[in-house]
Amino acid sequence: MEKVSIREVFAQFFEGAVFAYGLTLLLIYALLAFFSLIAVKRYKRLDDLQSLNDLVASSLTPGITVLAPAYNEGLTIIMNVRSLLTLNYPNYEVIIINDGSEDTTLLQMEEEFDLLLIDYAYNERIITQPVKGVYKSKNPAYSKLTVIDKVNGKSKADAVNAGINAANYAHFVCTDVDCVLHKDTLLELIKPVLQEEKKRVIAVGATLRLGNSCDFDHGVMIRMRPPRQLLARFQEVEYIRAFVMGKMGWSVLNSVPNVSGGLGLFDKEVAVSAGGYDHQSFGEDMELMIRMCRFSLDNGIDYVIHYLPKTLCWTEGPATIKVFMRQRTRWARGLAQLMYTHFSMVLRPKYKTMGMVVMPYNFLFELCAPLIEFIGILIYLFMALTGVVNWPYAVILLIFVYTYAVMITTFAILTDQLAFRYYKTWKEVLLLCTTPLMEFFIYHPLTVIFSIKGYLQFLGGKKQSWGNMQRQGMGTKKI
Amino acid sequence: MFKLSLPDGPFAIEIASILIGVAVFSTLLAYISMLIYRLKGYVGQKRADNTIPLVDNLLLEKVLLHPQINTEIPKVEMVELAKSFDIKELNPGWAKHLLIARLVNYRKNVRGNIGNAIRSLFIQLELDSVCLKMLRSRKWYKKAKALYILVEMEIVIPDVTLLPLTNSHNHHLRSAARLAYIKLSKNDPFKFFDVVTEPLLQWDQVELFRVITSSENFSMPNFARWITYSSNKSVVSFCLKLVVHYMQLEAVPAVIRLLDNKDHFLRANAINALGKMDVDEVADQLLHMYHNQPIICQTEILKALGRFRNQQAKEFLKREFLHSNDFNLRKHAARSLINILSKEDVLIKELMNNATKESLMILKHCMDPLIKF
Repeated sequence: MEKVSIREVFAQFFEGAVFAYGLTLLLIYALLAFFSLIAVKRYKRLDDLQSLNDLVASSLTPGITVLAPAYNEGLTIIMNVRSLLTLNYPNYEVIIINDGSEDTTLLQMEEEFDLLLIDYAYNERIITQPVKGVYKSKNPAYSKLTVIDKVNGKSKADAVNAGINAANYAHFVCTDVDCVLHKDTLLELIKPVLQEEKKRVIAVGATLRLGNSCDFDHGVMIRMRPPRQLLARFQEVEYIRAFVMGKMGWSVLNSVPNVSGGLGLFDKEVAVSAGGYDHQSFGEDMELMIRMCRFSLDNGIDYVIHYLPKTLCWTEGPATIKVFMRQRTRWARGLAQLMYTHFSMVLRPKYKTMGMVVMPYNFLFELCAPLIEFIGILIYLFMALTGVVNWPYAVILLIFVYTYAVMITTFAILTDQLAFRYYKTWKEVLLLCTTPLMEFFIYHPLTVIFSIKGYLQFLGGKKQSWGNMQRQGMGTKKI
Repeated sequence: MFKLSLPDGPFAIEIASILIGVAVFSTLLAYISMLIYRLKGYVGQKRADNTIPLVDNLLLEKVLLHPQINTEIPKVEMVELAKSFDIKELNPGWAKHLLIARLVNYRKNVRGNIGNAIRSLFIQLELDSVCLKMLRSRKWYKKAKALYILVEMEIVIPDVTLLPLTNSHNHHLRSAARLAYIKLSKNDPFKFFDVVTEPLLQWDQVELFRVITSSENFSMPNFARWITYSSNKSVVSFCLKLVVHYMQLEAVPAVIRLLDNKDHFLRANAINALGKMDVDEVADQLLHMYHNQPIICQTEILKALGRFRNQQAKEFLKREFLHSNDFNLRKHAARSLINILSKEDVLIKELMNNATKESLMILKHCMDPLIKF
């Protein structure tokens, strides 16, 4: 009998396991692409059919609270608040939470909106850092606006929790004060809640895009363009893949893993009962979503999470590698924290698709993927140095992964184009289509490295702080 | 000795080679699809850019600026007028659909004689038959679209066509058909309330509410009929909203009977309706039932007592404000108390003087005109 060395067994096992792992991941992507196409088509048909105007004019339209935390946003705060106050919705309030800003954020708002410190009966259902004061405007034109001034809680989560405590409506929309929302955002987000037949809608999310090169007019997006900078364009492509393909695909299975912190509508009662945002989490949006699902399943609430493929929110993407690294290490830490906290949900039938599909997927293909990839590269290098790599095969496998990755991203762009035909010119679409060709070599390695850095920070227990980016300002602002 | 069933190199390579081909082919296909789709979109946009101004000009010239538009354009003249639209640019199928969309848009925004003229034009151009053809399509969304157009144009659809659609398996089609039935049926338009078994979604209710409250063509029935007899909770809840909207005092006894209903949400809706209709004779009953109710009903009772401005309730509200364990109930009690009494009232002053920090904050909150809730 031929003897097989342990090294050979290990090598064979590693190759087989990694191949099976990679193939499974690619199969999942293919399934998500297929599901997303179904979901987007369904959405588009209804969107063409149903008018939002009835909601605008109806006295039956439910109220919504818009929550926007602000920390040192003095540069843009006035324009951003004005933008939130002009949303097209008949019944809403805007709560800005000034999380102990050290700049003139609060002062500017006081002056611009005629704010007055009032005696507000604040009910602290979720524990937060102390609220120093609540302001309302003397000007009836700004009657929708409430400003909460609180002690800095070192996290967006703590600020939003204070806003949830003060919210007066059954649903709240959480956004970032520097995000630009589509004027019909609230109408679009509430629609799935009103149209749900049997289940309780605990959250609705929508697609976010980068506004780096878009044209804005007083906080209103007037012309969408793909970002001119390569780094931001990589992210645009990544957002299309994650939102239009990933989350839309998951929504068909009612397994949306995350409603982005940039824009999401939530059922207040469930969010509060689940404990609100975790101020210690680095991925507070994803963590809340998982906790709301867990709470619902523990308490027999038959819930559903909807996602919309339409872009309703524009945010500024990191323009430099340094800022990008900060963002990604933070996200990676958030994911690691989340899996650590909620690992008990994995493979527990009680938690249905969340426990049987989403959490194992998150663990195997989100958390472990950068590690497996990194270890794989190290082993590959070792094997190359020891001369056991079959180079023709290695090149074929590399081409396979590359072409498949390009295909999946191109499919996501196609779905997006079929549904909405964003971007005005062919040149802009072409620019976007060529981006995935480079993503594999430039952008992807960076995300792997920053993820691993995030995991190491998680293991080292680095301190928490507000995740503010250094803003450069979005797009071309027409004044 | 070791036999692994995992794929060895060549097998993995075979699969990878096949998948490379698939991926390259699919990517190219995606590029081509995008190209074709954008080209189609470009052509469609070009067509719309040329056709819509043409339609707008014709409408303006022939209909909106017609000398008799403020009275009524005679039918004979309408026939002549429709001939102006019989031009080759508006003959293709896509142009007809653009014309329909444009007429619907105008019709949505104008009523009276202009609205009627647009409707007559729609009929004269035989666009109703285009919609009726769409209604025979096997695709649900085409049917639903046709229904929305016909509703907007108030074109009567025979019950025999419409009624089966109100029971369609597709929720969206069912909803569109119900809307059309209410708006267009010459028989009892509310008949479907008797037979509907599926819940009326909130979205349906918004649409139905608009159609019902904006229609001048039918007389309102007494909604007490469904409040009393319907076993569909969503129908009862919707009828309560209509009762409040039309201030149907004759339905009040039926609403009061709902106070004994087992469903918390229906009870809360009924209390809300009674409060908004100012039926203060139920105040004693509400006070009596208060302590056995869930929070949602208790909240509505407190709000209703405030709306009644019933002086008898002030002691009760004071007690609730001071001793309730629920923060929101305390706030509602305080707000209702302030609704009943003036800020200068002795009771309010007494409460302010003896209040704890939290109670004082609640009272000030409720008294501040800048705070809505």
